[in-house]
Amino acid sequence: MPETTASPGPLTLDAAGELDAAVTGIESRLAAWASETGAALAALSAKVTGTAVDKLIRPVVEELVRAPDSYVAGAGFLANAGLLGPDRSYIAWWQGEEMEHVDALANFSPNSISRYVKSEWFRVPVETGQAHVTGPYVDFLCTDEYVLTFTHPVFCRPDGPVVGIVGMDVTVQRLERGAMPGLRRIGERATLVNSDGRAIVSAAPDIAAGDLAAAEEGCGVYPAGRKCRIWSGATAL
Amino acid sequence: MLLTPQGASRSLAAVFTPIKSRGLVDEVCGRIEQAVETGLLTSGQRLPNETELAAALGVSAVTAREALSQLRTSGIIRTARGRNGGSFIADDVLPSRERALDQLRELTRLQISDLGLHYQAIAAACASVAARRSDAADMATLRSFIPSTEEDPLHWRLALSEFLLEVAAIARSARLARELIRLQADLGPLTLLPCADAGYRARTSGLLEEVAAAVEAHQPAAAEAAVKALVAATTDWLLTEQSQRY
Repeated sequence: MPETTASPGPLTLDAAGELDAAVTGIESRLAAWASETGAALAALSAKVTGTAVDKLIRPVVEELVRAPDSYVAGAGFLANAGLLGPDRSYIAWWQGEEMEHVDALANFSPNSISRYVKSEWFRVPVETGQAHVTGPYVDFLCTDEYVLTFTHPVFCRPDGPVVGIVGMDVTVQRLERGAMPGLRRIGERATLVNSDGRAIVSAAPDIAAGDLAAAEEGCGVYPAGRKCRIWSGATAL
Repeated sequence: MLLTPQGASRSLAAVFTPIKSRGLVDEVCGRIEQAVETGLLTSGQRLPNETELAAALGVSAVTAREALSQLRTSGIIRTARGRNGGSFIADDVLPSRERALDQLRELTRLQISDLGLHYQAIAAACASVAARRSDAADMATLRSFIPSTEEDPLHWRLALSEFLLEVAAIARSARLARELIRLQADLGPLTLLPCADAGYRARTSGLLEEVAAAVEAHQPAAAEAAVKALVAATTDWLLTEQSQRY
């Protein structure tokens, strides 16, 4: 195993910077979308309806998933209780180039909020008012794939309640394709991990996505967005 | 290497099987039945019309119409005519003992034991990977699905299938999770029958604790053995019940 040096070479810094930029790009696009959505919802003069929400959200999702080399496999908006009705949520979420409408049947249920309140990707941004990254996890609700879900709370007024969340699903598969070349340049055991130290993508053949990993002693640690980290060397637990 | 016709015959067989157009209709029906079972759609609630349903699920109006008609035939929905008409979720719609017994009568012992084997294989693979990958948050979620033995059969059945799905989620394998969902759909209301038996509930509740403990302690072999015993408890119960019906 190569010794990790105290000062990383310029190649390592470039590669880590590129990966950070990719993840940060997703996060800042999401933050911008959240404030646009909040402003647009606040500007709706009439009562907020499902149709109005769809009209607002769908074009953005279409642009996101169809952008060339996009990391986004699916995206959308989920209303918090209160926006459309007391116990009602509303899901305006689409995935894939075919723009498959996700979980749309739930929109016909008057108690649909019960379906989402326990999900980390909904619960955390609603409770904390902060952006959150969930996963990697197997997403039973939408893609049935192994994904990271980036979510951000939506406010109509700065001091108002969270009226819903906007989110983007990024499959680990896409992330692997994008991140692998850079990780290889950083080190033969370089690993992208989430805040729990769970591997998302690793250059090490014995660390699979989903495995818990540990940073090698003295290895370099670089940010990848707000929550994820790159370890220049990792071992499987 | 070129396969000889004999060598290739097994793998090629599926290519020439006629494609069933029922697939999509069954899928739509399955979604609605699942929404009812999980309490998302409740008795008496109005369903969207054909056009709305088609748009929501991304299928053609013809498929939606066929699905509604199939749901009507199987008694999941009822249709009222007139100004306040439409399709409504029927009153006695939850998986019933009668429907489960009907299903048990239609199955052969061979079908039950083969389904049990498949279920065991997938659940065991999930449990062993889950035991490698579990963390504290996973364990809290998994334990929240262990029901108390006093719960009613419907709740028990749902909790059992959710528990196994959570094991697949902890394993973090999309393929295994999808396979498990498919198997649970194949089992259908059948698993309601053992859940009505207090003895079965007591036995499985111990096994659920065993699975959770092994997954938590990072012991793949023990987790695998416990989850196999859990599936076997269901299969054995069904086989015993079925043999008494001859």
